[in-house]
Amino acid sequence: MADPPPYPDTGDYGGTPRWVKVFGIIALVVVLLFVILMFTRGPGGHGPGRHRQSGDTGAQAPLSSATEDHTPSGLGHDGH
Amino acid sequence: MIMPPRLRKFALTAHVTCSVGWVGAVIAFLALAVIGLTSPDAQTVRGAYLVMEPAAWFVLVPLAFASLLTGLVQALGTTWGLFRHYWVVFKLLLTVFATIVLLTYMETFRFMAGMAADPSADVGVVRSASPALHAALALLLLLVATVLAVYKPRGMTRYGWRKQHERP
Repeated sequence: MADPPPYPDTGDYGGTPRWVKVFGIIALVVVLLFVILMFTRGPGGHGPGRHRQSGDTGAQAPLSSATEDHTPSGLGHDGH
Repeated sequence: MIMPPRLRKFALTAHVTCSVGWVGAVIAFLALAVIGLTSPDAQTVRGAYLVMEPAAWFVLVPLAFASLLTGLVQALGTTWGLFRHYWVVFKLLLTVFATIVLLTYMETFRFMAGMAADPSADVGVVRSASPALHAALALLLLLVATVLAVYKPRGMTRYGWRKQHERP
């Protein structure tokens, strides 16, 4: 980042490059997914709260319910 | 304020060191997560999840903030600016997003360490695919940021173009 911009000055604003539009769309989708998972994923949203049973306010989850979320097959429950 | 060449070189070295260090730390976490997920030894599994939380506080979080801070210094202290070029803007957004997700995830690290420390919890309950998934996604994100920094794809923001033409 330390070097001066190497781009030649063409005099007019060239508009938004295609790579920026593609990146923007991908970033928007990722952020939307993150926000949706943050607020819709059961009690506690995106955090350790999702490891707990519904209605459990702080105690550790019983093993039977927690197993579902912690085994490798529970990948879908663990991610964002 | 544009930094003099020597200071600029020093700041760039600091930024590259912190950012590459962050990538390395995430790779180490990915390895730790895979060990926790696949090791047949119960003590190793518990140890992997126990060490994640303090290691994240001592390594991941400081490196994330150091990378963000040194990146801001680099942008503001050179002619690149912070909002003049799209690649700089995207790199900033990626770093901020990764740092926010990391800070959010610290609570999950704490929870998993608690589970691992509980001798009554079965090792199958202690195992979690979540750290591996998060570390893999973080690695992908940081690699994209690295590619942006190296290739510096062309594209000036409208603000950057205006600023460039304001100069005498």
